Parts: sequence; structure tokens; C-alpha cells
Amino acid sequence: MSALNTRVSLLALACAVSSYSAMAEDSSLTNPSISAVLDGYYQTGDRPMAEREEGFGLGETELALSANIDEMFYGKVTAVIELEDGETELNLEEAFIQTLALPNGLSVRAGRFLSDIGYLNNQHKHTDSFTERPAVYRAFLGNHYFDDGIRLSYVAPTDLYWTMGVEAFGGDSLRAADEHGERDFDDVGVYTALTKIGGDIGIESSWQLGFSYLRNENGLAYAEEHEDEEETADEHAEHSHSASYTGENTYIADFVYKWAPNGNYKYQNLTLSGEYFRVTDIFGEEPGHVDEVDDMDDHEISDDYHEGWYLSSVYQFSPSWSAGLRYGQIDTFEIHEDHLDPQKLKETEFSLAWHSSHFSTVRLQYTHQTGTNFDGFEDDNIFTLQYVMSLGAHGAHQF
Amino acid sequence: MRINSKLLLAVTSMSLLFTATAKAELNVFACEPEYAALAQTLAPDARVYSATTAMQDPHQVQARPSLIAKMRQADLVVCAGADLEIGWLPMLQMKSSNPKVNSTDKGLFFAADQIDTLDKLSHVDRSMGDVHAKGNPHIHLDPQRMLKVAKALTLKLTEIDPNNSGEYQQALADFSQRWEAKIPQWQAEAKGLAGKKVIAYHSSFRYLFNWIGIEQVADLEPKPGLAPTSSHLASLLTRAEKGDVMAVIVASYQDERGAKWLGERANLPVLVLPMSVGGNEQSKDLFSLYDSLLSLLNGVK
Repeated sequence: MSALNTRVSLLALACAVSSYSAMAEDSSLTNPSISAVLDGYYQTGDRPMAEREEGFGLGETELALSANIDEMFYGKVTAVIELEDGETELNLEEAFIQTLALPNGLSVRAGRFLSDIGYLNNQHKHTDSFTERPAVYRAFLGNHYFDDGIRLSYVAPTDLYWTMGVEAFGGDSLRAADEHGERDFDDVGVYTALTKIGGDIGIESSWQLGFSYLRNENGLAYAEEHEDEEETADEHAEHSHSASYTGENTYIADFVYKWAPNGNYKYQNLTLSGEYFRVTDIFGEEPGHVDEVDDMDDHEISDDYHEGWYLSSVYQFSPSWSAGLRYGQIDTFEIHEDHLDPQKLKETEFSLAWHSSHFSTVRLQYTHQTGTNFDGFEDDNIFTLQYVMSLGAHGAHQF
Repeated sequence: MRINSKLLLAVTSMSLLFTATAKAELNVFACEPEYAALAQTLAPDARVYSATTAMQDPHQVQARPSLIAKMRQADLVVCAGADLEIGWLPMLQMKSSNPKVNSTDKGLFFAADQIDTLDKLSHVDRSMGDVHAKGNPHIHLDPQRMLKVAKALTLKLTEIDPNNSGEYQQALADFSQRWEAKIPQWQAEAKGLAGKKVIAYHSSFRYLFNWIGIEQVADLEPKPGLAPTSSHLASLLTRAEKGDVMAVIVASYQDERGAKWLGERANLPVLVLPMSVGGNEQSKDLFSLYDSLLSLLNGVK
């Protein structure tokens, strides 16, 4: 990820805005879809591993450009402008091509893109009903897992929706901590396999179930041989896109259920969703490491796993108002030398959003968090007032 | 109960559209029920699926798994176009990985591309509400325009499935003949409505009013896509008190509350018109949809 100076990012912004006047209709190369998302907030406290910090702040200011390149390919670039420690940073969140004309329900996506694992991960954050991703996402996926890689997906020709996909990524943001920079990481660190099925129940209800597996070659944390380990806690408090808790194998199960009277989403609708994550093989001995730790002890340690889940319910009760309730928790281990310390975080969140139109949201969110030895957190209440507004091309609505 | 009877209606109309014959060969995915009805008329042997019902706002549809699965199998996708489905159709195309329905060069058909749309805008700004630069996409309630669409759709069908072109030509000839016979009859029925003024929700019935000669003097929506607000409704009450308005009109998928509030205070009849096939009990196909619209409009006192 490249950090450019403010002048360059402003130039990019100016370019995007000047071409915005040619309002996107069809997305073709001469007339690509251009959109921008503005996000700002005020918040009264900090959530662990979160992107937003206490006080006034800007969320991700996003600029996206997409079009069919030709008959065979579609392309999209999403640049994200963020403030980090007073510096303006320009990051690329998406820069991918996707095939449009492969036969038999196959498609390939390559470049930098959002992994399709889980339910929320492939959705853009500005479409979320809450200010931050659930704690499981923050802990195990670094908020939002996008990476450089390739995906092959397949959609079955059946009335019941059934898709399957495999992905391979560099996996830099999911690497286990390597404080001394001595570790030899694999270049292709992450492989995933996923499947989703879904359908309708009558006119009013729709559902989707997903199962994903993520193999992280660089996810196993090694016993700390060296003495100094005090800076790990500080690192977690910082704004970071890297996963705080890793392991070799991650299993994800997710579901979503949506309901609207008569199937008409305009006036009222309800969304229930939930995901469960289990991260195993989190801690081991470095290959070739010779130690006097006895086998019994070692075995017990490697049986431990991180896990977490959330359950979310969002009710849009009029075109202008929606309310959401979410509960989530994570149970993780922090590594101290050659042993693991358990810790827990629970979050109960309530959000109320006002939508002046389809393109603007003003949200008030209350979070009650309880942490057991979690980055030094104890009970806390946080209020966030946030706006998220999009201009430019209509974003397509993902289920 | 109102909701239950509407649901029952929607279910029965959907089951009509789902009906597939034994020798179903062509899979047609229609974005709206009016195009499902038209496709079924022009390709009687096709397996036609409608993504929405007349009780659903076609602007706001979820790109749900069942729609992806249906589009994956489609040979032809028929939609209103003019950006009506811009919020969900591109997502379905991307997710369904079906190159057959990617572009209008192949198995994608937009009705609005076949005719002149009304209210094209040279300038579009979101402060104007959710408006479409390509003009009003709710074109299916103008009989002349629908005839043009039917002819173009038949061309598309023969392009995709040349083996059955004889059958498609036959079906079009049959439809055109029945439709053209109906037009003067509808015109006669609409005669008394010409010049009448209404207040309506959105520009949903723009083409119907344009054809009949009804004038929509005010909109329940303060701006396209925005829900009626109390201050806006109050201003409509002032407008209605002029005494020249015939009725307050909403479509089958629109919220009736604002219309009822206005109707009660201004002492105006509130009319719920079927937006499409399946929008009420009478509207079983395009013909009976037009019949029902005219009889409801003529039924106002």
C-alpha cells in the first residue's frame, strides 16, 4: 500500500470530481460509473481493533471507478483516502478485472479485491448498518479482508442458488506477528474455499447460507524465544488493517434472512444475519526449534483456538428510518512467551439511522462493550454519531 | 385483511407466470410482470420468470440469491430499462456469470430502448431526487409504445432462437391483431377522462395519463424517490382546494397513507391502480390490466 502526500490525493479527488459532471448512465469505457462515498463521525470512546478513534474523524472517503473494459472484461478501481496520525493516505482497496464471457457459469477475478468468504466481507463498508464491523471481523480479518490474488467462481444452473469459489492471496495482512522480522513467510499465504446457497420462501422471504474455509500458511504464531514482548498490546490499539489474531485454519459459517411485506423493500424490511468464526492451530513451535518444553504441555497449547460470532437484526420501518441491534463476542488468546492467556470481548450495539434519501444516512450508535483482560479494556459505553453519503453512480444493492 | 388479500393475489399472479409448459425450451427472465406477460404472450412455449410482482417497487429490489440462480439459466432477459433496474440488474449480471445476457447485443432487451421515452433530462442532479436521465421508464401503459416493444421483442426472440421464428411471428401477429382491435375500444372508454386533473404518487402512470390526456397536477412525493412528507402533503391540500382535481392516485406497490390523508381532508376519492399484471384481481394479463385501469378511472363518481 502506498502512502502518498496530500497534494497527490487531492489531485486524484479533483480528477474524479471533474469527470463526475458527466453523470454515469451506462457503464462503458467512454462513460464509466464513478462514485464517491463521504463518511464522517464523532465518537466518545474507542473500540478495540477498530478503525475509528475517539473524537471527530473521517471514515473512509472512497472513490470508485468501474466499467466494462470490453466484451470479455470488467474492471474496477476503488481508492480510499484515510487520515492516519494526521497524514493523508491514499490506499487502493480494489483494483481488479473480472471475466464476463467464460462459459458454464465460471468467472475469474484477479488483482486486488474483497475476498468472498463470510457474509459481510464482500460488501462495502458504507452499506453496513453499524459504524464498525463486528469484533470477529476486526480480530480475525483485519476489519475487511481485501488482498492481491485471484478467484475462480462457479454458479450452478439450478433454481436453488448455489455458488462455489476458490481464492489464492498474498495474505500479508493476515500474517502472524513477526516482531523481529526474522520469519520466512510464504508468498502465497492464503487459500480459501467457499460455497453459498440461497433461495426464496414464498414472495416475502429470502435466505442465504454460506460456508468458508481459509487456509493461512503464515497464520501460526510461534513461541517467543526472545525476552521483550511488552509492545504487543500497544500495536492492537493502533489503527491497523492487519488481523490481530491469526491461525492456520479459519472456518466461517454465515446466514442471512430478509423479509419485506409483499416482498416490497421500499417501505419496510427486516434483515437477520449472523456469522460464526473458528480459528484453529494458532500457536506452535518454530520448525527446527529445539526446546525442553515437554510434549504434553505443547499439545495442550496447540489445541486452543480463537472463536467469535455475531447476530444482527436490522429493521427498516419506513423509507427514512431504520434501527439495528447487534450482539457479538470473541474469545481469543494472547501469546506471552510460551503460553497463552485467554481474553474475551462482548459487544452489544444499537443503531438508529435516518435516511433522507437512498443515498444519505445519518446514524447514531450506542455500543456497550465488556472486555475480560482485552487490551486492558474494561466495561465501556460508546456513542457514535456518523454520516455516510454517496454521490455519483448508483451502487448496486447486494443481498 | 388488506395485506393478506394482496399477498394471495401476488402469489396467484406469480404462479401464473411461473407456469412452464412441457416443451419449455427458452428461459426468459423478466424484470417486471408486464414484460413477463408480454414475453409469455410472444413466446408461449418459453419458461418465463418474473423477478418482481406488481406489489413490489421495481426501483428497490434486492439482488437476492433466487434471482441470481434464475438469471444464470436465462437465455433472454427482458427489462424496462432507462435505468429503472440500475440498482440491482448490474449486480445480478455480475453474479450470475451468464455471458448470454450480458449485453443488448446478445440476450438482453430493454423496452425503453425501443421507443421514445417521455421526460428525458439533459441535466440530472441528485437534488432533483431519484430521476432518470434516459426518461421515464414506466412505459408499459401506453398501448402504441407497447406494440412497438412487442415487435422489437419478437425480433430479439427470433435472433436468439431462430429455429422457432415461425412461432414467434405467429404469436406477434395474433397479439398485434388483438391489441390493435382493443385500442379504439380503450380510446372510446377513455374519452370522458381527457382533460381531467389528478394528484398521483411518483410518475408511475405518466404514459397512461399522457395517452388518455389526464393531467397530473401534483405529486405525493416531494421529489422522485422520496416518501411524502407532512409539509408537502399540506401544500397539496392547498392545491386540491382549488376544486379541479378528480382523484388521488397511487400504484399497487405504493404506500396509501399519504393519499388517504389527503383524500380525507380534500374530500377526494383515493384510487389504487394496478401498476402491472397481478396488481389487482382483474389484471390477469396486459389486456385485462388496461381494462381494469380504465374501468377504475371511469368509476370515479
